[in-house]
Parts: sequence; C-alpha cells; structure tokens
Amino acid sequence: MKPVALALVFAFAGIPVLAGVGVTLVEAANPVAWKALLQYPGIGRTVAVSAWTGCVATIVALGLAHLTVGLAAAAARAERLRTLILPLIALPHLALAIGLVLVLSPSGLILRLLSPWATGFHLPPDWQTVQDPWGLSLILGLIVKETPFLVLMLLGARAQFPVDRLMLQSRSLGYGPMKAWWVSVAPLLQRRIRLPLTAVFVFAVTNVEMAIPLGPAMPPPLGVVVWQWFTASRLELRAQAFAGSVLLLVVALGALAAAWGGTCLARLVLRAYAESGHRELRAERPFRVLALLVGVPFTFAISAMAALALRAVSAMWRFPALVGDHLELRLVAQLAPSLKMALGSTVTLACSTAIAAIALVTLINESLIDDVRWRTRIGVLLFAPLLLPQLAFLFGLQSLLVRLGLDGTWVAVGWEHTLFELPYVWGLLAAARKQLDSRLILTARTLGAGGLRSWRAVTLPLLLRPTLLAGAVAFGVSAALYLPTLFAGGGRVMTVATEATSAASSGNLRLAAAYGAAQAFAPLIALLFATLIGRAAFSGRQGVPR
Amino acid sequence: MSRLILEQVTVSLVRRPRLLFAPLTLTVEPGVVLSVLGVSGAGKSSLLAHLAGALPPALEARGRVRMDGEVLDGQPPEQRRLGILFQDDLLFPHLSVGGNLSFGSRLRGTRGARREAIAHSLESIGLAGFEARDPATLSGGQRARVALLRVLLSEPRALLMDEPFGQLDAVTRAQTRERVFDEVRRRGLPTLLVTHDREDVTAAGGPSLVLESCLEG
Repeated sequence: MKPVALALVFAFAGIPVLAGVGVTLVEAANPVAWKALLQYPGIGRTVAVSAWTGCVATIVALGLAHLTVGLAAAAARAERLRTLILPLIALPHLALAIGLVLVLSPSGLILRLLSPWATGFHLPPDWQTVQDPWGLSLILGLIVKETPFLVLMLLGARAQFPVDRLMLQSRSLGYGPMKAWWVSVAPLLQRRIRLPLTAVFVFAVTNVEMAIPLGPAMPPPLGVVVWQWFTASRLELRAQAFAGSVLLLVVALGALAAAWGGTCLARLVLRAYAESGHRELRAERPFRVLALLVGVPFTFAISAMAALALRAVSAMWRFPALVGDHLELRLVAQLAPSLKMALGSTVTLACSTAIAAIALVTLINESLIDDVRWRTRIGVLLFAPLLLPQLAFLFGLQSLLVRLGLDGTWVAVGWEHTLFELPYVWGLLAAARKQLDSRLILTARTLGAGGLRSWRAVTLPLLLRPTLLAGAVAFGVSAALYLPTLFAGGGRVMTVATEATSAASSGNLRLAAAYGAAQAFAPLIALLFATLIGRAAFSGRQGVPR
Repeated sequence: MSRLILEQVTVSLVRRPRLLFAPLTLTVEPGVVLSVLGVSGAGKSSLLAHLAGALPPALEARGRVRMDGEVLDGQPPEQRRLGILFQDDLLFPHLSVGGNLSFGSRLRGTRGARREAIAHSLESIGLAGFEARDPATLSGGQRARVALLRVLLSEPRALLMDEPFGQLDAVTRAQTRERVFDEVRRRGLPTLLVTHDREDVTAAGGPSLVLESCLEG
C-alpha cells in the first residue's frame, strides 16, 4: 500500500510541477528573448514594484497576524477567532480585489459614505486611490487577504504548544502581555509557519489576480507583464514570457533571501529584547492602540463583499448615492445564461476536484500513518505548487499538455485544480489524523474489527468534521483559481474566475462585480454546508473532535 | 481456558540491534494476573503493543507468543482475541454507550436479542438504561466500567492492561480494581498488567516481575 501511495503522489503532484519548471527553463534559454525582456521599457521599475509590494504586504500581514493571535490568546478567544476568519479565508483573491476597487476608488463606497456632507463632493474627485504608482492599494489588498490566512496558520501552530501557560509564566514574571507574546510565544509559532509564510510571500511578490484590478498600471508589476505576454496572441512574445517567468522566479528567490536575512536580524533583536529584562508596562500601553489595527483587514474584507453585492444589483450607481437608483437583477438576468454556465462549471470542477484531493490525501494518510519522515517529505512536495510562482511552471506545464493533446480538457483543468487544493487538504487532514488517538483504532481491532472495518467505524466518523472542512476549503481554492484554469483550459473552460478576470481587465467593473459576487458567495455556501452537516452529525456527542 | 505463553520474547529498535529488555519467558495461567513493573522507557508499553499485534514499525520483536498451542505471532490484532485496556478508557466518542458495547459484542443473533443482551449487561454494572448516553457525560468510574464491559463482551482469551487505573481517583480506583480482578478470576482470563502502582500488584495477588531496561547501562 505504501509504495502505491508514494508512486501516486509523485505521478500526480511531483511530476507536473517538475516538468512545468523544466519546460519553462528550457524554453527560457533563449538569448534573444532575454535581450527583449531586459530592453522592455520600465523593466527595472516593474521588478521593483513587485518586490516592494510583496515585501511590505507580507511583513505587515505577519505583524498583524501575530498581533491578532496574541490578543486573542490574552483574551482566551482563540476558538471564536477561528470561526470568524474561516469565511474570510474562503474569499477568493480576485473577488476581494474587485470588491476593494469598489470600496477605495474615488467613486467607491468610502467616499460615497462621506459625500457630500463631509467632503462637499457631488462628483467623484480626480484622485488615484487604486492602481496608484506606489502600489499602496495592492499592498492593502494583499494584507486584507493574507492576514486571515496567517492567523489560521498561527492558530494551528498554537495548538502544539502550551501557549496559555507560557503566557501566564511570562506575565507572572512581571512582563506585559505584548512582550510576553513577542518574546516567549511568537518565536515558537514562527518556526511552525515557515512553509505557509513562504507561500504567502511568493504569492504576494508574483501574483496576477490581485495585481490586475489593484496594482499600478504604468508599469504594472512583473507578474502582470508576464501574464500579458503569455495571453497575447503574438507568438514571438512566448519566449519572452518564458524568460519573464524565470525572472519572476529569480525575483521571488531574491525576496526570500532578503526575508531570511530579515528573520535572522529579527531573532537577534528579539533575543536582546528578551535578555534585557526590561518590563516596560507603561510603555506597552500605547501599543494597545494597535489592537484597533486588528480590525482593519476584517472591516475591509466585509465592506468589499458588501460593495460587490451592491454593485452587482445596482442598475445605475450614481455618485454619491450609496445604493443604486433602482436595484434590479436585470444585468444578472441578462448574464443569466453565461453566469449560470460559468457557475455550473465552477461548482462541478470544485466538487469533483475536492473529492479527488480528499481521496488522495486519505490514502496517503492511512498508508503512511507511522512514517514521520515520509509524511514530512510529502507535505513539502504537496506544498511545492504554492512555494513556486504560478507563472514559473503553469505555462511550461501547458505546453506539455498541448503536446500530449490534453490541453483544454476537463481532465487537465481538474488535475491542476487538485494540485492546488492538495496542500490545504493535506494540511488540515494530516494534522487531524495525527491528533486522532491511535489507541482508539487499536482498541477497535482488538475488539475484533478488521483493518477496513475499524477504519470505517472509527477513523472515518471521527475525521468527518475535518474532512468536510477540508472539502469546503478545497472548494474555495478551486473557485478562486484563475491562472491554472486559464492555462490548462486553453481558454475553453470558463469559470467565474476566468470571466471575472476578463471583465476586470477590460475595465467593466459592473460585470466583474457580478462574477466576483458569484465567486465570493459560492465558497461561503460550501463552508456553511460543511459546518452545518458537521454539527448535525454527532450533535449529541461532546467528545467528538471538532 | 488457555494459558498465555511467552518464549524468549524481546523487543528491539530496528535501526540499532539493541534489546529494550532481556528476553522474557513466562506462562500466565488462566485467572492469574501477572504484574509487570519497571522504570519508564523499559519497554513495558512496547511489550504490550507487541502482544496485541500492533508494534510500531520502528520496533521489531523476537521470540514466540502462544495461547496454549496456537502461535499468535504474525496474526493481526483482530484475530488474536486478546482484550486490551489502557489508562484512558478510549470509548469511541462518536458512539453512544450502547453503540460502544454493541461494537465490542461478539454475540450473534437478531438485533433485538443483541440489544437485550446489552441492556442486561449494563444492568450488571449498575448502569441500567444508559444505552443512549454520550460517553463524554459519564463520570470517570462509569467510563472505566463501560470500557471493561466492552472488552469482556468481545470474549477475549486473555487480557492486556496498560496502567488501567491510573486516571481514576483513589476511591474509584479501589472499586474498579476489585471489579476487574473479580472478572478476570471468574472468567479464567490470563492477564498481563503493566503498572507503576505497588497497590495494583498487591490487589492483583499474582506473581510480578520487573522489566529492566537494557538501553542505558
């Protein structure tokens, strides 16, 4: 069983990524393409914008995530926090970005709320609040999206340490809650979230979905430039695009090296801070104000959702009215056939790939339950698609699919979707399976149940809740995927993600809002179902793990 | 009623061929509780895991384990019919008390007959009418009794116990101990009891041996 599982993982998850990177490297070995790439006007600024927005967003998101979890730990609210952030994690990047445009832009929700009574504006001012040259709106978008994810990772890491006792210990030694967290708990948790943090960082530097609606336009971040080359119909841009993906990989690696240096520095500073023995209780007071910052990502995410919904149903959205002249579903009705089709293919893809991902992870989980070393290796392998810039292997993979005659097929799209769901499903299910007391299963077997029956009667029901949750998360991941759908689908598979992106990049915000709202609400419904079913099953059994 | 026989049984790490404890040869007679003592890390729990048929892959065992003439080595846990009781009661949290018992029961027959037998057995441990209860709502002593009943309903040929009374408070511990040892004697089950507690050994009334660690010194 073990060799079968390992072979399956390599064939399914290892080979596509390796082959995609390989093809990209081979195709990029083209001096002409590199010359064209380096002569592209504004290439230096493009690289700088990518690195700057990615670095600032990741650092702020990490700081906010620690602050959130630290405050929740001090207030013993960690469990409630988890319930609160799951819907935010299910929110797709693209839908959030479109929603934020509707909130931040001069004709957006914020200025509508303030006009005309506070600002005196009767027309939207000529300000550049989104797509600003410094990339500030992109940075905000990335922070709003990545903070909840990092919070969830920190909460997961938190369960592995006696955090409450560590905090109490430090505080009884006379330290305030802030210093107690940063010095005695944060370093422990930080080690445990290295992999997801790297994924967040690489995504922030190289992403396309959020950079199209929110990022600077002249010149755009490197990811967007490379994406434009790949999707351009001119064939001579292909080699240049491959060279660009390699450059993107180099930029990501450079940023990671800088981050590694930064972590070492932070460790030194923290150690000195810990060993100084200072107990600045009074100095901690102003820091408490930072607690207000914790609400920022949540507030923006919720207003983005509201703006999406408002824009999708407002026929005329005249400034400064908060709600459109008459709410109607006409556009939605006009769109109905294509929206229905896109939504249908999104749901079909999401459901079938979520099931495939869960089946594969369950197989690995059961066959490698005692093999810690292989479990770690497989975890890293499955994480690879998130650790690499998507553009660095997806297009390479596509040209391979073309050669195999598989491009544009549902199999290819489904495969790539599963590839991106696996790290999340593995993260949730492997942890849940490891927490399950193995003596329960041994007990079932000594009572006379065979391997399969004890799995069906004990392991499966006790893992039902985490499995449902993993399924909902996988559903959300699939609904959010843009580049894999575009590339593997060869432009022929249409989901709400591809439709929303093309609407957003052509500047049709209302259409983008309609698709974005569909993209945002589908995962929420999946999450709601998963939670309700999980609660209804075993409702009278307090001992069943959540 | 058969005897549990160990011949030159020992456990070692797969990577380093060093024994956890010196080879054991012993016979546990029906109805007798043999207590196994030893410092932590001496391999007590590994010995029990080996006897149950669930040795972790990092460990390997040598020697022979028999129930009278039947060699158990190589059999999966579900075929050995050795009941096991841990320090925690390990009732399945997703099943009711009745569901746990019926999972363990080997009684064949109609559903009604099985249900009646379980109601009867619950009555015998003073928990009449507890079938539908959530195990999480039971007291420690009640849970221990249900766990014991579940093992007995599976009609084991011998019992293995890994500090089964460790989680209970002093009063409940004495009562549970008495109940367990009574059942062992009444049913003539050869029993291996791993424990730290000298009182357990006295109450068990059987022979005892100390497992010496071979790893250090």
